[in-house]
Amino acid sequence: MSNNADTASDTDTRAESINNPTYVESTIIMTTVRLVVPFIFTFGLFVMFHGADSAGGGFQGGVIVASTVLLLAFAFGIDATRRWIEGPLIRTAIATGGGLFILIGLGALINGQFLEYAAYDIGTTGIKYGIELVELGIGAIVSGVLIGLFFTLARGDMLTEGDIDQRSSQEQHGSDRS
Amino acid sequence: MTPIELFTSRYSYIVFVALVGIGLYGVINSSNLVKKVIGLNIFQVGIFLFFIASGYVNGAAPPLIEKGAETAYASPLPHVLILTAIVVGVSLTAVALALIIRVYNAYGSLDEDVIREVQLND
Amino acid sequence: MTPIQWGILASVLTLAVVVAAAAVLLYDVLNAIIAFATFSFGVAITWILFAAPDVALTEAAVGAGITTTLLLVTIARTVRQSGDRLLEKVDPRAALTAILFTGLLATTVDNLPAIGSPQSPIATSPITSYYIENAYPETGVENAVTAVLAAYRGFDTLGEATVVIAAGLAVLVILQQEAYA
Repeated sequence: MSNNADTASDTDTRAESINNPTYVESTIIMTTVRLVVPFIFTFGLFVMFHGADSAGGGFQGGVIVASTVLLLAFAFGIDATRRWIEGPLIRTAIATGGGLFILIGLGALINGQFLEYAAYDIGTTGIKYGIELVELGIGAIVSGVLIGLFFTLARGDMLTEGDIDQRSSQEQHGSDRS
Repeated sequence: MTPIELFTSRYSYIVFVALVGIGLYGVINSSNLVKKVIGLNIFQVGIFLFFIASGYVNGAAPPLIEKGAETAYASPLPHVLILTAIVVGVSLTAVALALIIRVYNAYGSLDEDVIREVQLND
Repeated sequence: MTPIQWGILASVLTLAVVVAAAAVLLYDVLNAIIAFATFSFGVAITWILFAAPDVALTEAAVGAGITTTLLLVTIARTVRQSGDRLLEKVDPRAALTAILFTGLLATTVDNLPAIGSPQSPIATSPITSYYIENAYPETGVENAVTAVLAAYRGFDTLGEATVVIAAGLAVLVILQQEAYA
């Protein structure tokens, strides 16, 4: 495994492919995903926003949006997608969704009970607007948590990371020989 | 009631019983931990089938109510329960898989018999 | 239910049972995961035939998408035990337990109402007719499932959002990481 003469980027990709045998570069998958992912993402947002009048809602839209990021991770590698998504995006999405739900519930305490959307008194009643905002909050929570779960499981156990690759390669060689 | 009549009118309930049996067998018998999780998911889906099949009415439309139409609608309550249950089920599966990764790092194998031997030898 | 509808439903359900049995009996974990993805897909089609489009959307995306991907990531992160066998060894005691449990449940199928009969307790229950009649006039929302989920039973949905967030945090704690990405 000597890579003295390589540049930094070659070392990175080779280290990524050794530690991360989940990524196999395939032109067909990359091209297809690059074409299809914007439409799937838009469809997920459509399902999330139209939960009130057709089949759909927060859970369905949130799961479809999470599948978009999973598709990108399949096509371009988990580490590359993790670097693309880096930052507080996932935890912001989860916190925003949860906070929106709770604030809508608590805000109804002003002249009603907890989570009584009719207390807002917007339009005919406040119920339809309350339902749609709550569905958006749920969609944000579900998509954020599912994307976060995927990246967390893909990284594995952080503290014993060094032992994992040694033991897994031993295990695979052992089972191949037996 | 005759078996043919049972078959044609309650086939989904028979499939529910079969799925629950297959899921239970998967959880008990498999020695690989990941296949136990798969058996658990099959068991869950069998229960969902029981709920949704019981809420169906012949010739029913999905519970998207249009103004003024007079068709029969399927009951919306089982759908709500199963929606929540599916999402809770995927969260449960994710936590189980995270535990499996920790178990693998501690014992070096995903096979239940090997783990028990390593535990006995410690 | 017309005979054609029954035929389609029965064939999809039979496919689901056969593939589920394959998922449990195959020895290689990767084969079992692929069979499980097919099983989820067949079940999603079953939900459509039972007039449940919301549940079908969720099941298709979650079962065939998210759960399969998480299982694959787990065996990529740990180990994939592969050997020469195609099918697992059948343990007679486990099979006997499963068959006894199945037989016990099968004796109760006789007493359940026929599927789709308009006199079943769910179809004639006052709760069902209340939600179907009052969901649109009271909330202004046509999708009765969303109305029940977010308005009539909104507190349960808050509890479920809590469970999802708790699962996300639990996975971080178990795998000893500090941030998601």
